[in-house]
Amino acid sequence: MTNPLARRDFFRSAADGLYGTALAYLFGREFYGGSGLLAADAPPPPRLYDLSPKQPHFRPRAKAIIQLFMQGGPSQVDLFDPKPTLERHHGQSVFKDLAADVSSPEAAGGLMRSPWKFARHGQSGTWVSELLPHTARHVDRIAVVRSMYNTHPNHEPALYKIQSGKLLPGLPSFGSWVAYGLGTENQNLPAYVVLDDPQSRLPVNEIQNWQSGYLPPVYQGTRMRPTGSPILNLTPEKSRQRPEPVVAASRRLLARLDRIHKTQRPGQLRLDARISSYELAARMQMTASDALDIGQETQGTQKNYGIGDKVTDNYARRCLMARRLVERGVRLVQIYTRGQMWDNHSNIGSSLVGACQHTDQPVAALLDDLAERGLLDDVLVVWGGEFGRLPIAQIRPGSDPKKAGRDHGPAGFSIWMAGAGIRGGTVYGTTDEIGYRAVEKRVSVADWHATMLHALGMHHQDLYFDRHGFRERLTGTDKVRVVEELFT
Amino acid sequence: MRTLSNLIPIVALAAGLLAPACHTRPLTAAPPTAMVYETDIRPLLVARCGRCHAGGKTKGSLDLGSLGGIRRGSESGAVVIPGKPEKSLLVEVLAEGSMPPDGKNRPTKAEVNRITAWVRDGARTRGGDFNAKAALTQEDVLPILFTRCVVCHGGREKKGGLDLRTRRAMLKGGKSGPAIVPGKPDASLLVKKIHDRDMPPPKLLVDFGIRPVEAGEFETIRGWIAAGAPEVKVVVDVAGSTPDRLVSQQDRDFWAFRTPKKPPVPRVAKPDLAARISNPIDAFLLKALAAKSLGYSQEADRLTLVRRVAYDLTGLPPTWTQVEMFLSDKQPGAYARMVDRFLASRHYGERWGRYWLDLAGYADSEGKRSADPIRPHSWRYRDYVIRAFNNDKPYDRFLLEQIAGDELADVASAETITPELMDNLVATGFLRQAPDGTGSDIVNTVVERFEVVIDEIDVLGSSVLGLTVKCAQCHNHKYDPIPQRDYYRLVAVFQGAYDVYDWLKPSFVPGQTKSKAVGRVLPYLTAVEQQRHAASRAVVKKQIADTKQELADLKTSLEKQHAEKRLAGLPEVLREDLRRMLATPAKKRDAVQKYLAGKFEKRLSITVAALKKQNPRFKKLTKTTNDRVKQLQAEMPVEPRIRALWDRGDPSPTWLFRRGQYNKPGHRVGPGVPSVLTDGKTPLAIKPPWPGAHSTGRRLAMARWLVDPDHPLTARVMVNRIWFHHFGRGLVETLSNFGNTGSRPSHPQLLDWLARTLIERGWSIKRMHRLMMNSAAYRQVSAIRPQAETIDPENRLLWRMPLKRMDAEVVRDSILAVAGRLHDTPFGPPDPVDVRPDGLVTSREASDGWRRSVYIRHRRKHMPTILETFDLPQMIPNCVERPDSTVASQALHLFNDGMIRKLSDAFAERVTREAGREPYKQVERAYQLALNRMPSDTEREVGLAALEELTRLWQQKAADTPAKSGKQRSPSTPSERALATYCHTLLNSAGFLFID
Repeated sequence: MTNPLARRDFFRSAADGLYGTALAYLFGREFYGGSGLLAADAPPPPRLYDLSPKQPHFRPRAKAIIQLFMQGGPSQVDLFDPKPTLERHHGQSVFKDLAADVSSPEAAGGLMRSPWKFARHGQSGTWVSELLPHTARHVDRIAVVRSMYNTHPNHEPALYKIQSGKLLPGLPSFGSWVAYGLGTENQNLPAYVVLDDPQSRLPVNEIQNWQSGYLPPVYQGTRMRPTGSPILNLTPEKSRQRPEPVVAASRRLLARLDRIHKTQRPGQLRLDARISSYELAARMQMTASDALDIGQETQGTQKNYGIGDKVTDNYARRCLMARRLVERGVRLVQIYTRGQMWDNHSNIGSSLVGACQHTDQPVAALLDDLAERGLLDDVLVVWGGEFGRLPIAQIRPGSDPKKAGRDHGPAGFSIWMAGAGIRGGTVYGTTDEIGYRAVEKRVSVADWHATMLHALGMHHQDLYFDRHGFRERLTGTDKVRVVEELFT
Repeated sequence: MRTLSNLIPIVALAAGLLAPACHTRPLTAAPPTAMVYETDIRPLLVARCGRCHAGGKTKGSLDLGSLGGIRRGSESGAVVIPGKPEKSLLVEVLAEGSMPPDGKNRPTKAEVNRITAWVRDGARTRGGDFNAKAALTQEDVLPILFTRCVVCHGGREKKGGLDLRTRRAMLKGGKSGPAIVPGKPDASLLVKKIHDRDMPPPKLLVDFGIRPVEAGEFETIRGWIAAGAPEVKVVVDVAGSTPDRLVSQQDRDFWAFRTPKKPPVPRVAKPDLAARISNPIDAFLLKALAAKSLGYSQEADRLTLVRRVAYDLTGLPPTWTQVEMFLSDKQPGAYARMVDRFLASRHYGERWGRYWLDLAGYADSEGKRSADPIRPHSWRYRDYVIRAFNNDKPYDRFLLEQIAGDELADVASAETITPELMDNLVATGFLRQAPDGTGSDIVNTVVERFEVVIDEIDVLGSSVLGLTVKCAQCHNHKYDPIPQRDYYRLVAVFQGAYDVYDWLKPSFVPGQTKSKAVGRVLPYLTAVEQQRHAASRAVVKKQIADTKQELADLKTSLEKQHAEKRLAGLPEVLREDLRRMLATPAKKRDAVQKYLAGKFEKRLSITVAALKKQNPRFKKLTKTTNDRVKQLQAEMPVEPRIRALWDRGDPSPTWLFRRGQYNKPGHRVGPGVPSVLTDGKTPLAIKPPWPGAHSTGRRLAMARWLVDPDHPLTARVMVNRIWFHHFGRGLVETLSNFGNTGSRPSHPQLLDWLARTLIERGWSIKRMHRLMMNSAAYRQVSAIRPQAETIDPENRLLWRMPLKRMDAEVVRDSILAVAGRLHDTPFGPPDPVDVRPDGLVTSREASDGWRRSVYIRHRRKHMPTILETFDLPQMIPNCVERPDSTVASQALHLFNDGMIRKLSDAFAERVTREAGREPYKQVERAYQLALNRMPSDTEREVGLAALEELTRLWQQKAADTPAKSGKQRSPSTPSERALATYCHTLLNSAGFLFID
């Protein structure tokens, strides 16, 4: 952490030169006051939180993470975890055994085989379903984890858990821990960017997915929008825009008034910090718009991602933006999917196909693009949702079997990771014979969080925040294991 | 979570199919070992755990180095349960690696296995058995049944005539016979039904918030019945029932746990310092300053003071009239009178009530779920709080009502229902503010219910008690002398109202709640309120009817036109009869008309769909009407209800949850309060609040204990908070943690003097404001003196006042006030917000402006952006101290946000309206309104130059883009626009946002 005293001195000495070169130093640093660390007798030191780059605990594998967050719960037994047993026992009732995890018991059907064929791919021979032909090309770059598990069969609690480690709202998200721990290389962009679907409503739990909880607000995820003002209020609404000379004059006036105000109040650090926050705001305007401008990419690149194709366009654009953002030093980009498209409660035969088609090509293109630019060595790409789905059919008694879907399945599901030293071609862990529950090499959400921190060069025990006299950690008091086997 | 256990044979599946899933112990146990404690286990434990738990060290009261010690267990209860490694804490903590702490000197896997095997084989000792066999009793079984069965087979429901709450009732059984046959588990229905997984019914689990019986639990039930279902006498753990080993006298001697005594007011020797003493507060402060060779800063000028006081007490800028009144009062005591004027303002309660709402965690929605269901009645509590502050309700009474208002008066048998009587119930909304998702069936299990209880205890602890008790939920507090059982005693206090085994849902969530069971609300009964409700419903109903009427009229006329067109094609003789037929409602038609209708009606009438196609106006009106009706229906006032907490009598037992987990029940605990704050021997004096009350009286007893004048914390915590809001820093900086990990008071004597004074002066909060604000300390300037800063850089000794940034609500409210757009109606249902697709949330404008922020709907997922940007926190469950940040998003909001720009236009219009078009006067007026002072000469010059430059620039723009015809937007002329830009810049300036 920055030495607070040194920063105090800096503020003091720079107090009159803030509009000069000293500003460069201050860009992006955000000042955070308030009462702090609770040592018994000593007055708490002033706490300053900023996004300046911080040293990881050890040599990192990844400088950044792109998280392809598949909200809703992709069906593991239809994508990455083939289960011939389902074929043999198709239709058999196991409901009583799964009852604890069934959200809609009235629609619990028998075991349901996957309607899709699986095949081995790449040199590693990793099994992938025919639904993901593009991703299948990359299996030798990918480590599939088949033994992830969550602990709640409902979206909200399961999402809180996958984002922040506990089934409860109000805790810092993984991304804000990363921003807190590492800061960012580019002070003119947020450290933690969220790209939600501009054509769809917010994901379940909405903005709570990327909140900073008890961490200072400077670490929360920033939604960036591909159209309009990329960041909220980064630019005024069209109808309220002023001519550039007026804006410039207004800024000059503000600077003048604030300087008069500050001169009468020497030594008040907050006033300096506030002035710098206005300067930063002005700088962000340019950088953010440039980062999202995919028009600067070649036609070929755009086509590879699937931009221009109705099926993939929306998701593809954000995959490409993600690459541009990590290139510019953003630490963590989270891409959310359209609504709950992976939440295939019914008509899985068509709804899952749609979800795969929407994302498969853009995801594969992102891996290609990162690899071609040499970025894949430094960027960890993570794919997965908050849980998987049950191996039994979800269907109301008497309905057309073709309309069957699958209910939420938290006890065992698949995710994958690629890049940043991930051992490609790995298939890690297993579920039971029907694909219901992770049984071997089980990976908890906390294990997974710790593993991603590990990739970033941080040890989950050493990343903590002092609060009310206690050390809070992302992984809490859970017993946690970094899945080191996933790395080369 | 258990799955597919092979203890319960799987009928449907091939036996091997799911074998890998099995996690439970195989039926054929490994051959028993011959290990004994003394030689095989003790050396290992001493080596690994001896650092804290052997050789005279008994951390957590646990001694693993002696047979007596390990038998006795720890403060969390037994650590070894022979034969049950899965229930033995020792095995659990070693297996999961949480002990030894920090992973130092951890036992090897083989060692853990050895200990596990020893426990499994009966934890033998040289002398034979570990202890007189830990036989299963009803206390092992009842918590399971309460968790899994009692919702249908208990006090409120006795499905099949079965009650499973006592052994006796189990023996009696229900319609199908006794539930248990002691000694014969396989003949016991209870065992059979669970074994076959008929009970709890798998298809009803979600509806009733139940999870299946776990394998271990099944074994326990079976084992207990096999042993003859023995019943033991239960001693409920309350203060005095078992020795209080964990809290020592030394613990009780900690400064914050001792009753404050009123110290004498110190004498300040140095005459120049003594001359600054306005009241005893100054004596305490100056004494401490003198010790560091420091003194007060000079007194601030009157303009600074009036702005400071106005913002401090009302959260709004002083009006220029208020400023002038103070400036012109040349009599002695002018300052005190000015303070009193603002204290008497009705905006005072809106400002200081908001602080309290932060502590309560006030919200207008349930949270936790994406649906974030609205709490339609929460606002009554908000109004109660604001009124309480405005009326200076004594703090002790304020607490009594909020913690136990339901037990203060017997509403049910009251002759007349007065608003005061209702207020007692409304006040209990204090403990109904935590996020609560249990209205959705899928998250209404004991786990999520317990979360609500945990949160409310957290709210009580952090706001009133000034202690962080939360840690003790899972284990004895590591830093404060709060044993785990103290926590569960608090749980028991709440159990009369919040019973995790017998739960009331907070609300009905469409699509997520199956049973429409009444939510946790009470009717609001006063006649006045009922009439007001009926009247306001009638208004909306009328609006709906009027709205529909226009569409209906248009429809009728269009239908007529259509009919006429068609009639024209029919024989003349028929037309009149047909018209009459059409005008007669179907049911009233005579035989001839019916005949005509059968033949012609289809031809003469037109469908709505066709009408829409044919007539664009009709189509548009249908849509707007439907939208408007929907909107009006959404605004339909809901039945007057109170979101209250009330004791329902006859609570379930409270078992301590080991490790904080509901499925690891420990011993039975009764109501009580943290032992360290009492003598540890006297249980709470609990009795029903009135004769024959169906209420336990537990919360009332706790509330009375809290407001006892000798309570060590209640008064201290409150005066410290008032101090914090005035002086920007608490005398104890950790406002909600007066315990060991909290900070020590900077002025212990002053804190105690204030605490005793609060009580002496009838717990009046306004008197405390007067006292603090009339001190010389409060009237200092905020400027930094370099020399003093070297000695006390954090200003702990208060040699100056802090420079404060406006709070979130103050930013918004002040801009509204300055712009003259603050709509002044207090109270009532909250104002709705609009959510833009890009995430911007704004409060909706009414015709006469916007109301203060405290009256905006505080829906957790849609908090107004401006408030969040300026650090309005999420209430999870509450907020004890807001963060105070300076970030770029604040600059972006004030500079670019549309509403701020719009308000700047209004501000400019107001300036012109009140000061005319003379720029000189405009600058002056703008300063008076926004900064509550006159501009300096420089500022005046800068302002005039800016107006001139801006006018020129806007003129250029006007010349570049010829004015569009049509709507003239205000401000329209270049000079008006220049003034609006100038006003906008002022609202962005530090001088506006910061208070000296």
